[in-house]
Amino acid sequence: MAFDNTVVQIFANYCVAAAESMAYTLVRTAHSTFIKETEDFSCALITPEGLAFASPRTLGATWYIGLDYGPVLSRIEDYRPGDIAMTNDPYSGSVATHTPDIVMWKPVFYQGMLICFVGGHIHNTDMGGAVPASLSRTLTEIEQEGIRFPPVKIVREGVLDESLLDIMAANVRVPKQNRGDLMAQIAMLHNGEKRVLEIIERFGTADFCTGMDALLDYAERQARQVIATVPDGDYFFAEYADEDSVAGKPMRLALNLQIRGEEAILDYTGSDPQLASSLNMPTGGMVRHALALVGYHYVLYTLQDDILLNAGLDRPVRCVLPEGSVVNAVAPAAVGMRSLTCKLTHVLTFGAFSRAIPERLPACAAAGLAIMSVKTMDSDGRTLMASLGPVGGGAGGMPFGDGSDGSGANVAFLRNTPVEINEAEVPILMHRYCLVPDSGGPGRYRGGLGLCMEFQVFSPGTMVTARNRDRTHFASWGILGGQAGATARFTRNPEADHAEALGNTDIVHCQPGDVIRLVGCGAGGYGDPLDRLSEEVLRDVRCGYVSPERARTDYGVVLDHDRVSEEKTQALRRSMRDQSRVLPDAPFAYGPYRDAFETRWTRERYAALTDILASLPVAWRFFIKHQLFDGLAARYDKGEVVEGAAVIHELFEQLMKRYPALSPQRDSA
Amino acid sequence: MGLRIGVDIGGSFTDFAVLDDATGVLESLKVFSRPDSPGSEVITGMETLSRRYGIDPAEVVHFTHGTTVGVNAVVQRRGIRLGLITNRHFEDVLNIARLKTPDMYHLMSVRPAPLIDRHCTFGIDGRLNAQGEEIAPLDESGIAETIKGLERTGCEGVVISLLHAYRNPVHEHRVRDLIEAAMPGFFVSCASDVWPTIREYERTVTAVIGGYVQPRVSHYLGSLQKALIETGVTAPLQVTKSNGGIMSAERGKTDCVQMILSGTASGVIGAAWMARLCGIDNVMSLDIGGTTADVALIVGGAPRYATGEYIGDYQIHIPSVSVTSIGDGGGSIASVDTLGVLKVGPESAGSTPGPVCYGRGGTAPTITDAFAVMGILGQSPLGYDTVNLDIAASRRAVGQLAETLGQPVEATAEAIVNVAISGMYAGISRLVSRFGIDPRQFSLMPFGGAGPMLACYLARTLHMQTIAVPTTPGVLSALGGLIADTRNDFVRITWYDLTQATLERLDQDRAALEREARDWIVEEAGDAAPELTLSAEMRYKGQSFEIETPLTVEDVRHGKLSALRDAFHREHERLYHYRDEGADIQVVSLRLIATVPTPKPTLKTIETAREPARPCDHVQAWMDGAHRRVALYRRSDLRSGHRFEGPAIVAQDDTTTSVLPGFSVSVDGWGNLHLINNAVTNGENRDGL
Repeated sequence: MAFDNTVVQIFANYCVAAAESMAYTLVRTAHSTFIKETEDFSCALITPEGLAFASPRTLGATWYIGLDYGPVLSRIEDYRPGDIAMTNDPYSGSVATHTPDIVMWKPVFYQGMLICFVGGHIHNTDMGGAVPASLSRTLTEIEQEGIRFPPVKIVREGVLDESLLDIMAANVRVPKQNRGDLMAQIAMLHNGEKRVLEIIERFGTADFCTGMDALLDYAERQARQVIATVPDGDYFFAEYADEDSVAGKPMRLALNLQIRGEEAILDYTGSDPQLASSLNMPTGGMVRHALALVGYHYVLYTLQDDILLNAGLDRPVRCVLPEGSVVNAVAPAAVGMRSLTCKLTHVLTFGAFSRAIPERLPACAAAGLAIMSVKTMDSDGRTLMASLGPVGGGAGGMPFGDGSDGSGANVAFLRNTPVEINEAEVPILMHRYCLVPDSGGPGRYRGGLGLCMEFQVFSPGTMVTARNRDRTHFASWGILGGQAGATARFTRNPEADHAEALGNTDIVHCQPGDVIRLVGCGAGGYGDPLDRLSEEVLRDVRCGYVSPERARTDYGVVLDHDRVSEEKTQALRRSMRDQSRVLPDAPFAYGPYRDAFETRWTRERYAALTDILASLPVAWRFFIKHQLFDGLAARYDKGEVVEGAAVIHELFEQLMKRYPALSPQRDSA
Repeated sequence: MGLRIGVDIGGSFTDFAVLDDATGVLESLKVFSRPDSPGSEVITGMETLSRRYGIDPAEVVHFTHGTTVGVNAVVQRRGIRLGLITNRHFEDVLNIARLKTPDMYHLMSVRPAPLIDRHCTFGIDGRLNAQGEEIAPLDESGIAETIKGLERTGCEGVVISLLHAYRNPVHEHRVRDLIEAAMPGFFVSCASDVWPTIREYERTVTAVIGGYVQPRVSHYLGSLQKALIETGVTAPLQVTKSNGGIMSAERGKTDCVQMILSGTASGVIGAAWMARLCGIDNVMSLDIGGTTADVALIVGGAPRYATGEYIGDYQIHIPSVSVTSIGDGGGSIASVDTLGVLKVGPESAGSTPGPVCYGRGGTAPTITDAFAVMGILGQSPLGYDTVNLDIAASRRAVGQLAETLGQPVEATAEAIVNVAISGMYAGISRLVSRFGIDPRQFSLMPFGGAGPMLACYLARTLHMQTIAVPTTPGVLSALGGLIADTRNDFVRITWYDLTQATLERLDQDRAALEREARDWIVEEAGDAAPELTLSAEMRYKGQSFEIETPLTVEDVRHGKLSALRDAFHREHERLYHYRDEGADIQVVSLRLIATVPTPKPTLKTIETAREPARPCDHVQAWMDGAHRRVALYRRSDLRSGHRFEGPAIVAQDDTTTSVLPGFSVSVDGWGNLHLINNAVTNGENRDGL
């Protein structure tokens, strides 16, 4: 069969079917909840060069399209039939991106010839190290994040290397579970190999090999076609996480998206230096690293939803990932919680594309989603652990409708755990599981609402974890007149006199009777809220999603006994239109916290900061960043700040004097 | 003895199957459906049956009916305005659903809008815990406010769904009583009465779908009953259920959630029965209509059941015959994308305007048009003389794609079929991977208008060895209803460990289920003795998924702990290839199925062949990349024992079977066609999915 245009879709269907079959094999046989509940795994068919040419469309995590296995494939010499190799070391080829992710690959031989690979990863519940589950943002070095396997054969010609498993068992907390998941992963690869062989027999070796390239080429052409519809230009965008470490400073990611015809450059220069926490992304600076392109894939798919999900999509783009920055951390930086940063790159990329084509993309998704879990005791004193589910917020308002509430957009693949299951599994009592009124960014099309979870715990020693807590301060932006969503609130005993704001805390030690409430943030709105139809505002008020006060102040809609007062509404909207202010960075509305922050940390000052930090040895950058932040804050406190970036250089000169060790280091950097 | 009639109302056609118990003769009839006036097609059909076959309505002893009226009400969102009552601070249960959106890569994918408006949802105070114990009393005084809300918002009915009511319905029932007292005649449904299982969203949405369609379905059944009496049918009307069984229309009026999927389920029941008749254990039924291709697995003669079947955009969580949409239907449209690549679907011309060749206004080339171009369709009239095919129009439509692709028109037509088949392959692959089965151990049983046309292509790609084309592929659903058993499912959430200490509780739960089942059977089938099938959803403690494990009533009654534990170990080992003898086992729920069998008919056999099968004609058709001289057989000319080889076309008035080169056909005693895939039989292509 020649690879003309009548066969491409057919070959693609067979290959995707093989990849999905791998995924189902894994889901059916794996143990850990990460696989069953949050589908944190990937699988793919991979070219001999390491490019994924087919992935599942309906299962698994959405982050690993185009994951480049090239750097690890070449670390193994002499593949033989029946071999399986693995690694979980983020610093060996940048394929595993934190230690719980074990990546495995298996060569597929046909008639003695290596035709391609099948591969994939799963998130293991624990790989040992300083903390259970191996992940905490308090960790500062990769060595604290558990045992690491550089690329190594775990199966040689069909024989499992038990000594490697023994080493793993001696280093992890629940060896039985790791072993079970490892076996499931091996079964997945066997299944993938079998299915690929079947496709090879169907199409013949030569056509199969042509077919792999044809799928990559087709995806590339699709991507080029989509990029060509985006006007040429440079589109800069920045995003912030509230904290770069425990009680730290804001973390900024920057992206200069350069569209040139059918191609694009994603330049992350200006993103923060690598951190002394585990929020770093280990991309190795690879120009097409999967983690730096997740947002790009979402945008492509949203603009054209029949694209093939494979590495061909990435050929027209190139990333610039400065070494020693949070998007390209160097050893021994800890990377366990890179998911928080990676999620921020998604909305960062959405923002950059929205600057180019706001009429075709939604406002900012809520982001800042936390996975809630609890460790407590039952009445017999047995320890129980459960993942209670994701708590975040909805999708951004769209060009033609409201964003989905409670969840959506780039976290839409996550499922929740039913209240009744949570209560049956662990001794907690849910007080609330509902949407958050007034949390969606106002707009012609409202941003999706946040989700609220509130529960009470009853045993001493109970520990609540809220992994990836964020968006307590920085909000999700609205666009084209749409407003930012509400921020998140995390509180202990919210209704009591001694209510305690927990901020971005991610681990809470509880007393019996404590009530924990997490109010997720809302997504940004799309278009001018004064253009929202008054009956739509009324509907939101009736549903309890917008309060009558906010209907008036955000939307200019005056209600009178469950009816819209048209006359008063028109008058109010007229006066609000007259007063409407010009946004500092139109068409984006960031909300008051970021607006205030950026009057201090202007783009200009950030440019100075970036230049200064880039000139320093990696080990100094995080420290100096914090010093400069404190220095600038002190200047403001004293009322001694003048406009412009000179103040940053001035502060840095002072630091050089204070830390003499810095100067010689700087010269050598 | 007498006549049994099964009627299945589909989107385009209504099928009748009439069985004379005395002779075993099965007659069928197809008339147009009347979505504008549901039920009137039944009257039309009965009149035609009397005229054509001299049927006396008074001789009808058994009348079953499957209908899409409920599904349509959901899909078209034409149900009633419903209210919902939940616990306070849990009112968004329908909006939150399970969070995941339908298309996880699409930033603008949204969950389907709930069938109940949020402002018609009312939270009330009062709470049970996971054990079903009251931890906050029901705020009865607050109900008055809720009732005012229901009135203010113009609700025509209400569903009450409270947390943990599957354990203890006391709060739900109390709320129901208060509303019924205040609003006599108002429609009230308690979710825990519909299907009392754990998981609040699933339980709620199931009850909501039931309540949403209830008045419409109930009214429809009432008028149908009346019409039947007018035509002289005295047998009580029975309706087919999503679980493949039947129940009385009277019960259907209140329990309509049970009959939402009645048509699709009875098709599978029909296929399963037909397969047993032919001595085939494992069957993959393939129903291809205008817009979709649906597959069901029949393992060891029994359909596979599941919960979570799709009704339009929503899933319904009661035990149903599991039917999965795996790809495009005959009306799915082929196109060439901007990069010049040929695609098929997901857009469909459906039954209106339909394929180009139907001449009803369709202009976009469909899979059916591809078959017309290849000369496989159109060699004999289709669909009970209702449709004459315009082959030239198909050629023009497919020709446009051919021009873009730079390919001959016939090759383009075949490529369209191949693309559609590869899509179905991917769909079936997903299904078999999920259930861990091997399609090569299954026979394909195609039905629906387009099933037999596509079956060979699909069997070939899945390396399936045999295909069984039933005598009347168009009326399998009607036939399924006619032979379906009276059947109902019962469930009880247990959620305790399986230990010596809980054995008594387990037996009490079993006994309670059995009482419920016997009460149901008495109402539905009088003093007939039901068959009871017991199972439990079990897991090793700590696992996050359950396995349905068959149990014997005896083992539970006599508290045989080791036998019960072993039943689960065995099942776990069968599925996951290991057992964990030391682990605690948790019983999540106990399930009971009560069945009263309907007597199965003996079908009349057809005449035995006395001479070899003779084609009525030879035609030019495009198969496997070339024009071939292909034998055309009329299905009605075929006799028991006839054998012939592909390539061939078998035409009958409700479908066309394409027999590709490399397939052999034999005709059995009932007129079913058995196609053998010689490539597989000869040992080629050993490796399957």
